[in-house]
Amino acid sequence: MSNINPILLVEDNPKDLELTLAALERSQLANEVVTARDGAEALDWLFARGPHEGRNSGDPAVVLLDLKLPKVDGLQVLEAVKRDADLKHVPIVMLTASKEESDLVKSYQLGVNAFVVKPVDFKEFFKAIQDIGMFWAILNEPHPMRPRSTPMKVTEA
Amino acid sequence: MSNLEQTDLLTAEENCAREPIQFPGSIQPTGALLSLDHAFNILQASANTTELLGLSPDTMLGKTIQDALGLELGEQIQQELVSSRLANSSTALLRSVVIGESRFDVLAHDNGARIIVEFELSSAEGSLDSVYPDLRSFIEMIQELPEIERITAVAAEEVRALTGFDRVMVYQFDKDWNGTVVAESRNERLPSYLDLRFPAADIPAQARALYRSNRLRLIPDADYVPVPLVPAFDPLTTGPLDLSFSALRSVSPVHLQYMRNMGTPASMSISILVDGELWGLISCHHAEPRRVASHMRTACDFVGQVVAMQIGARSRSMAAAERVVKHRIESRLLARMAAEPDFISGLHVAEEELLSLVNADGVALLLDQRIMLMGKTPPLAQVRSLANWIATERADQEVLWTESLSSLVPQLQIATETASGILAVSMSKLHPSYIIWFRPEVVQTVRWGGDPRKTADAETGRLNPRKSFETWKETVSGQSLSWSATQIDAANSLRQAIVGIVMRKAEEMAAVTDELRRSNKELEAFSYSVSHDLRAPFRHIVGFAELLKETGGIEADARAQRYIDTIIEAAHSAGQLVDDLLGFSQMGRSQLTPVLIDMNKLVEETLRTLHMDTEGRKIEWKVGRLEPISADLTFMRSAWQNLLSNAVKYTRGTDPSTIEIGCDPGENEVTYYVKDDGVGFNMDYVDKLFGVFQRLHRIEDYEGSGIGLANVKRVVERHQGRVWAEGELGKGATFFFALPRNLASEA
Repeated sequence: MSNINPILLVEDNPKDLELTLAALERSQLANEVVTARDGAEALDWLFARGPHEGRNSGDPAVVLLDLKLPKVDGLQVLEAVKRDADLKHVPIVMLTASKEESDLVKSYQLGVNAFVVKPVDFKEFFKAIQDIGMFWAILNEPHPMRPRSTPMKVTEA
Repeated sequence: MSNLEQTDLLTAEENCAREPIQFPGSIQPTGALLSLDHAFNILQASANTTELLGLSPDTMLGKTIQDALGLELGEQIQQELVSSRLANSSTALLRSVVIGESRFDVLAHDNGARIIVEFELSSAEGSLDSVYPDLRSFIEMIQELPEIERITAVAAEEVRALTGFDRVMVYQFDKDWNGTVVAESRNERLPSYLDLRFPAADIPAQARALYRSNRLRLIPDADYVPVPLVPAFDPLTTGPLDLSFSALRSVSPVHLQYMRNMGTPASMSISILVDGELWGLISCHHAEPRRVASHMRTACDFVGQVVAMQIGARSRSMAAAERVVKHRIESRLLARMAAEPDFISGLHVAEEELLSLVNADGVALLLDQRIMLMGKTPPLAQVRSLANWIATERADQEVLWTESLSSLVPQLQIATETASGILAVSMSKLHPSYIIWFRPEVVQTVRWGGDPRKTADAETGRLNPRKSFETWKETVSGQSLSWSATQIDAANSLRQAIVGIVMRKAEEMAAVTDELRRSNKELEAFSYSVSHDLRAPFRHIVGFAELLKETGGIEADARAQRYIDTIIEAAHSAGQLVDDLLGFSQMGRSQLTPVLIDMNKLVEETLRTLHMDTEGRKIEWKVGRLEPISADLTFMRSAWQNLLSNAVKYTRGTDPSTIEIGCDPGENEVTYYVKDDGVGFNMDYVDKLFGVFQRLHRIEDYEGSGIGLANVKRVVERHQGRVWAEGELGKGATFFFALPRNLASEA
């Protein structure tokens, strides 16, 4: 395990949040799970601003992003992250309630890393979350860049 | 000249066309002529004055007419000139005089440059007054006659009764100056020419011009010896004397030859001028030389004018009546069209009306690539090439007509016997859609008044009508009767009406399309929110029920476990239903992107996704060679998925089971099928099979929302294909779908 950066879960629906957390809990990942309840909050956390200014944790290992969110929606969050030079390497998995093709196309256009339609079946849902967690938080080798909280090391001569 | 060859005739016609017939320099010998200046000095005289008037030209020339002929006549002419009765260029009968032993009718007119005085030998006593009762009853009769045919027939009778000619014909010009004998009155001395047609060249342009300006001409004897004028040229102008309005004017030798060839040495013609235009002639012939007294000629001229007025009036009222008839036909056609989905279907059932609208023999209806032929038309391929020509070369013309299609587009080589004339109207600027009416070659429409060959007389060498007819054929080959203004108007009016209908239908369609687009958008929004918002609670129910199961405390209670399982299962299938519904609605909304699909590969792929369902089953898959086809990959995948999972599902009770996937390549479509040996179905319910939420089995026996086959049907129909099934209860089922080889692009 290269690092134990947190997983950012962005989900407005409390029931989905609870179920997703339950699924993640069962995945027995060591990563801390940070939650955001809307797009604006997620962006504040990601860009370490507002209430999250000076937070300790580094960039997330993965962002599990619900597509439909109040205020700033999932696609806008995705766009903001992928446009940012520092954050664009953070993997984003879009979670959505339905497999509406236009959403999928838009997400991929904006550079989403994966797109998951939340299965109705809990076992499948559980497995999907587990797979995502396993892949992005553990197996995926993150882009070799400094954690946001760590000052850049200057190589001395 | 008795064996006048056709080439000679043509040469003669050409010469004739160039001949300055109004300046012949001579007169016919049935009278004498003097030409005066406006001071009444005699400038020219005909060479026969000595024998007719007893005064030689030489004694008269240079004198005034009073000095030459005596006071009385000279004074009268002067008076007439002063009262300008002579100035209107028509010859006036001044009086009758006796000079020596002969009686003369004295006629005079002023052609602007010269006063022409003619002394015509009177053939008989009599006066205009004596024929007045006849003329009056003629006028009374003719006013009662409604048809031009009857008017001309009565006119021919009247002129023959007045003049005693052997044959009097009424000759009508068409717009190209070809003529037809439309009425005739005759005795047996001369053959009938009724209904015969004559080419325009028979009466050249300058002759027609004279017919217009001078309404009556008489040639008493075609064998006459012309009498020259003395001097030959006008001494003041040194030019030839204009004899346009002269009664005695000498006529063209070609014309005289023509008369001799026809065996008619005497002829007279009276112009029928309708609204100032030369409509036709009353043409009189006699088998022997014949003179007609000037008062009788005046009576005949009067008959001609009355006939012309009546024809003018009848033509106008006929045109009005014809317009009414056309309108009535058009209304009937429109009513038929309104009842049909497009104008072609509407017109197709109304052949008679469609043809009678413009008096055509055949008609072609064209709408995009559809062509319908009715009546006498050229073959389909020729009609198609004609339409293509119109579409490319005459695209901007809404109405197009010709009486000679073969000379307009010789390269198309369209059959002249059916399509010498066409009248085409265009229904659309965007698509090639036309109505094209056809008229046959006119020679085929000639109504012979008896077999013309029987009138041929080889013995006498007369120019027989058959030969004349050959000339006519030569002139008019590939010509149809001309389209009248009323007919062209009727075609155009129908065109406008159809365009109106088509436009209105297009507007209605556009409105429907707009409405459809709007409701599609609504449906899209609806299904989107349904899939999001309806799916979530089901997911929550399933999720929390699962969690509840695991939190313990109810493990012991088997019944509670079963309830929870039921909740999970119910929510699960409700969620599945939402997914299926969304999928189904997407089938209708998504754009098709056809690509060439390797069907074998797609089926293999689909089979792999079914491994969950087939685990532990003994299924023998028999997959044949499936022909590749152009279709939308996503859609086809879903169709195969539904069909194959269906087959797996319904063979569950059969062990081992065989599922066969095959293909039947046809010419225009490829049929694919999935055949299983499962539970099958009763063919009575085959129609319900592909309906949305139609199930033929109890829900507890076979899972699924019942939308799978509806999905297949929708996919296939989006590809303009067909889907059907065969089955037998307990024996298995075969599901077929056929896709067209050439998928038309979506509108």
